Amino acid sequence: MARKIVIDPVTRIEGHLRVTAVVEDGVVTDAWNTTTLFRGFEIFMKNRDPRDIWHFAMRICGVCPTAHGWNGVRASEMAMGVGRMDDATRLVRNMMEASQIAYDHILWFYVLNAFDYVNVPNALRAKPTTPALRAVQDQVRAVVESGQLGPFAGQYWDHPGYKLPPELDLELTAHYLLAIEAQQTANDAGAVIMGGKFPMIMNYAPGGVTQLPPPEQIAFFKSRMTIVKKFIDDIMIPDLLAIAPHYMDLANEGKGHGNYLSWGVLDEKSQDPYDRLFPRGGIFAKDLTDTLGFLSTKPGAAVVPVRKVDPDDTRMFTGHSWFSDGTGNGRHPLEVGQEDIEFTQLAPIDGPELPGEKYDWTQAVRYGNDSLPMEVGPLAQMLVSYGSGRAEARAVVDSTLRAIGAPGKIELLQSDLGRIAARVLKAKINIDNAVRWAEELEALGPKAPVNSMPEVPESGVGKGGWDAPRGALCHWVRIKDHRVDTFSAVPASNWNFSPRDDKGVRGPVEECLVGHTVEDAERPLEILRLVHSFDP
Amino acid sequence: MEEMSSFPGITRREFLKFCGALGVMIGVSRLAAPEIADALATLARRPVVIWSQFQECTGCSVNLLQARRPNIAQVILRAISLDYQEVVMASAGDQAEGLFQKALDRGGFYYVCEGAIATDQPYAMTVGGKTSVEIVKAAYPRAKVTIAIGSCACFGNIQAAYPNPTGAKGIGDFLRNEGGFPDARVVNISRCPGQAEDMLSTLLYIVTNNKIPALDPIGRPEHLYRNLIHDKCERRKHFDNGQFIRAFGDDGTRKGWCWAMVGCRGPLAYAPCPTNKWNGGLSWCIDNGPCTGCSEPGFWDTLTPFYDRSPDVELPDGIHPSTIGAIVTGATVAGIAAHAVGQTLTHRMGHGAVMETVPGAEATDEEATEEAESAGAPPSSDGADRPPAGNDRQEGE
Repeated sequence: MARKIVIDPVTRIEGHLRVTAVVEDGVVTDAWNTTTLFRGFEIFMKNRDPRDIWHFAMRICGVCPTAHGWNGVRASEMAMGVGRMDDATRLVRNMMEASQIAYDHILWFYVLNAFDYVNVPNALRAKPTTPALRAVQDQVRAVVESGQLGPFAGQYWDHPGYKLPPELDLELTAHYLLAIEAQQTANDAGAVIMGGKFPMIMNYAPGGVTQLPPPEQIAFFKSRMTIVKKFIDDIMIPDLLAIAPHYMDLANEGKGHGNYLSWGVLDEKSQDPYDRLFPRGGIFAKDLTDTLGFLSTKPGAAVVPVRKVDPDDTRMFTGHSWFSDGTGNGRHPLEVGQEDIEFTQLAPIDGPELPGEKYDWTQAVRYGNDSLPMEVGPLAQMLVSYGSGRAEARAVVDSTLRAIGAPGKIELLQSDLGRIAARVLKAKINIDNAVRWAEELEALGPKAPVNSMPEVPESGVGKGGWDAPRGALCHWVRIKDHRVDTFSAVPASNWNFSPRDDKGVRGPVEECLVGHTVEDAERPLEILRLVHSFDP
Repeated sequence: MEEMSSFPGITRREFLKFCGALGVMIGVSRLAAPEIADALATLARRPVVIWSQFQECTGCSVNLLQARRPNIAQVILRAISLDYQEVVMASAGDQAEGLFQKALDRGGFYYVCEGAIATDQPYAMTVGGKTSVEIVKAAYPRAKVTIAIGSCACFGNIQAAYPNPTGAKGIGDFLRNEGGFPDARVVNISRCPGQAEDMLSTLLYIVTNNKIPALDPIGRPEHLYRNLIHDKCERRKHFDNGQFIRAFGDDGTRKGWCWAMVGCRGPLAYAPCPTNKWNGGLSWCIDNGPCTGCSEPGFWDTLTPFYDRSPDVELPDGIHPSTIGAIVTGATVAGIAAHAVGQTLTHRMGHGAVMETVPGAEATDEEATEEAESAGAPPSSDGADRPPAGNDRQEGE
């Protein structure tokens, strides 16, 4: 029998999200995602001083403000006629971003995601092997016995989908506590020491950065990132490999449309987006079936065809959003605003009513002439890196597949489990390169130029195109009469959590949900897993 | 983090250390740690904290996870029962909503709000199908004390920037003027994001003393917000000496001079930034760039453009503005007027915070005058972990 499920709120995310699904015989047959928050950035950015854009833009997301800062400052720079960044600016911005990626991925793996796989109460059944683990177990027991479970209350802990042995549950619970410190350390390294605070950094400014970090700050960055690297190498990656064998069924769930997009992130000296540490590129499902695609079984020989992609091929649709139908119409983000609000209704949670024609504050974002829904995020970034022949990406992906007994089967990454793995592996490549940015900066010496604040011109157009930790992010700005005429932002969750477009094609997460197993409709743990694998 | 074998929040010794840090943050002596520990330990149940997120970016929740004075893991495991907080809670959907409703039914919880209330377009913000208007109206009267963390919950913040497309308002403003609670009292912890350590120490002060600290005219704890950032700024001497950064990255920048000419709003904003700083006291904005005045109501409209020197900032004697480059119009400061009421604005205020009793909460002590030397506590004594701050640089001349 078909049954409607509404999860509202989806917790352990940034912002506010509802997911509605229809489940029939243990399988999702249809799904809708609804962003239940609207603030109107594109409206209140009008007529502002273009130099201020990045400060406003960081408030789009307090989890990944540094990437919004980069996009905002770069879009305004381009609109003001600034070409390449000074090399010191490039490196400082890379260090800030590396700090953010490290914190974000640790925070996501343990704090936002782990409770879907790690059963905290079950840790009480473990036999602790060290005094530290015993202390953690005693603390968990004290919380449970107090009857005040706090954040651990109410989860489906008795769901059969929790598969880890008690010893692993205990170890992962202990690592959860360590991870809180590890993500703080990652933030301290860059955002806090060079940016003044986190979230909401202070050291970017149109034309560059506010200052060349003094040597003590650079040394601090290196020492803290070295500690974080130890955490990722010695704890986070082993945790991934320890968990994965217990959840291999999730390597066959949640594939979706199979289109992937990355604008790239972390600039090398060339400042070419295709040359970034995580390069720009798109992978299209059609190409995968036309070629051998992921079919190769020889380790290291898989072919992943990557195409060049342009942020200006982004298209917006509003047929299923709470904006007037004419607002989107498949136009470029700069030609689309948020002003014609057309709120209809939010479907009631109880009762059989499904989401209506319009059901989302997010506009449907699509790519190119075919208006394709694209998945963005670490999975897309790792596949694009792999397909672009990056040695580091190939090494970590291939070795991970070997470690879980599936050598060469890169198609397993197109799944719930694959997204988790991709995020951890991306964290490793990021941290392995973090100290390099600092060393390059030191090599530039103490007099390296860091800023040439431009005059605000009468008119101009600019864009960013630099991935946030959770995926492709781009800001656009048009200047007219020395003021912001139009600002537009398309963050990662606008791609992944797009509603249906005007042709009725589901957004990426909606499509991934369809066909997904849900063992017990009363306790839809599997839906939370899939949604969290996108880090909304 | 450097010793990965130690887990936070476990031993009595660590808990006392935590209470000591807490004592310093709330303006009593570190020596009071055992008393604070006992006060927390003797509560039959850990105090229930419910945290709502409205129109927000989750930045305040992220800053909560950065807290280490007191350490967030210890707070959650030992000091409070965080029964509803969307970023950290395991459960979702109707399970989560059930926990929220259970807390409301029981009442007597401490209510922390992050984000603004969408008043003109109520469906611009819903959780569990309920609008922010409905949620806050239901929860406020059941709460023992309500704390707004971050400038969104305090004053509306960015979504309230002109033309405020959704009618975003701060919690107190909404409750008093539209929500039907004309006497509503909300403790405002402003800044963007909200500084979680300020919030936690204020919360735990309220819990252990059963009263709220004295508030300034816009609802902020006086002991935290009584000083202009400018007056406690470690770069103040450069302002007084006329030593200004004229362009980012210039010689003055390298010498750690004053940011006023490139837009610093420190002379217009009240907050404990120079003393409490951020993220465990590691750093603050002025180490790395000019202040944007994020603690003040309406700063997106009244204190922008951020990179222009504000004409409201009076320069020290002997420096004429016309010699200093562009002067741009536009800034008026709502916060200033509010602050002028009943406050003496002097450079160095050394008075302790006067506490007042919470209406509706039973006060256990008479009004207390604390011995805090300043709002901001010095960072914890394990100074070995402190980083070199940019402003510690030696001057070149």
